[in-house]
Amino acid sequence: MNTVTLSVHVDEIEKLFREHNRALVAFLQCRLSSLSDAQEVAQEAYLRVLTMDNREEIESLRSYLFKIAGNLAIDRLRKRKVRSDFAAVQASDEPVGESTPVHHAMAVEQVAGIRRALRELPAKASQAFVMHVIEGRDFGTVAQTMNLSERMVRYHVANALAHCRARVDEKEMP
Amino acid sequence: MAKNRQDDMLHIAADWWVRLRAPDASADTMDQWLAWTQEDIRHLETFERVNELASRLDSLDTLSRQSLIKAFAQPPAPRRPWLPLAAAASVAIVMLSGAMYLAWSNREGGVHTRVYNSAIAQNRNITLSDGTQVALGAASTMTTQFSQGQRRVDLKNGEAFFQVVHDHSRPFVVRAGDISVRDIGTAFDVRRTGERVTIAVTQGRVEITDVNQKPGETKSGALEVTAGQLVSYDPGTSSMTVGSITPEQATAWRDDRLEFIDEPLSVVIANLNRYSTRPLHIADGDLGKLSYTGSIRTDAIDSWLDALPQVFPLRVSNEGNQVILSDVERAPRR
Repeated sequence: MNTVTLSVHVDEIEKLFREHNRALVAFLQCRLSSLSDAQEVAQEAYLRVLTMDNREEIESLRSYLFKIAGNLAIDRLRKRKVRSDFAAVQASDEPVGESTPVHHAMAVEQVAGIRRALRELPAKASQAFVMHVIEGRDFGTVAQTMNLSERMVRYHVANALAHCRARVDEKEMP
Repeated sequence: MAKNRQDDMLHIAADWWVRLRAPDASADTMDQWLAWTQEDIRHLETFERVNELASRLDSLDTLSRQSLIKAFAQPPAPRRPWLPLAAAASVAIVMLSGAMYLAWSNREGGVHTRVYNSAIAQNRNITLSDGTQVALGAASTMTTQFSQGQRRVDLKNGEAFFQVVHDHSRPFVVRAGDISVRDIGTAFDVRRTGERVTIAVTQGRVEITDVNQKPGETKSGALEVTAGQLVSYDPGTSSMTVGSITPEQATAWRDDRLEFIDEPLSVVIANLNRYSTRPLHIADGDLGKLSYTGSIRTDAIDSWLDALPQVFPLRVSNEGNQVILSDVERAPRR
């Protein structure tokens, strides 16, 4: 009896994976700003769905999967924050001038391109964008600092993000 | 038209991105988003491209991150107008013009002193007595004082690129106004515009200190800078900003190109005056504060000037032998 339930269950999850894995990873990457973290968390989410025991109470497996994934993403962000706070405490103990290792994820020209793109935008849009995407502050904090509504902050960030993406595309695929 | 459609889709994708980003995004939002991704495969593709850029920006190196935060996420600090510096620099250039290359030597108490300078629009290559190679930019002045225990170079104005022969027993120190740069086995570029100084390290490491720092801050105030980093010293706030720069950008001037990263227009103009046969002047102080990033060919300054009104709200006019940059909002000065 038990084995039968589980195998049906596995089928369902395979179907979920086939139909929604790309969207799930995209959703998680949006939350985590890292493709590899997104893939890891997606794996974990499937595992959770696969091993859950209150299967009968779930209406939509898909909604449940995304909900679990969203929660796992929040956990991961929290852990990341603890780690970076810890790193910050450690760093402040080190003598000034011991420069941190620098790895260039983005070439200097690309950063210059972003800088140019941001200059083309209204000051509020580029400020909200940099505070959220680069500094990693949440929408609420940005809204408070800039004395704007959260809705406006989101609007500015979305606008700046679309603009920068368009500018980067012009460079990368003219 | 297709372009507009693409831009629209990009905006919609970015809008979804901010909505999903909020940790409290509702199940309804998720469902609506999933429905949108299923409408058209390009929807999810566009969303992924937005994701990709956001992820790339999230993994930015510390220096780029700091420079973007400084440029966009902080309220602008009150700045001292740049015009006096630019004016002072132009005066210096007028005095230097006509003088070709000059060097004199003075021997006193075991210290060898030399003065080097260069004419407008002429870079010079110099080998110092210790073998250190110096490329001296146009209209630049530098003195050297070498003794048994120390090699000291004072950059009075302009720009110089140093490839230092390292000698443990005789530190190599470059002074540029308030800033002192000590080599730790290095090649680096120093540009001095009035009291504003930028240092670009292309190889090895240097230690940078503000010589006016308060006592007690002595050693900890030193900033160690490695290859690929650019330090800008702002005399108005006595602050140093760290950014990144490639060796090609740092020494582009040796190939007749001046590179500027986030420099006030007044600094750009003062440096161009080291290469321009006609002096350039900024008539309205506010213009000098505009920030400029880009490269300028020193043998094509006129075409750069022609294009300038397209990016800045200014007018370029000729008055006698001078080129005047004035605010487009103000009435012409004649």
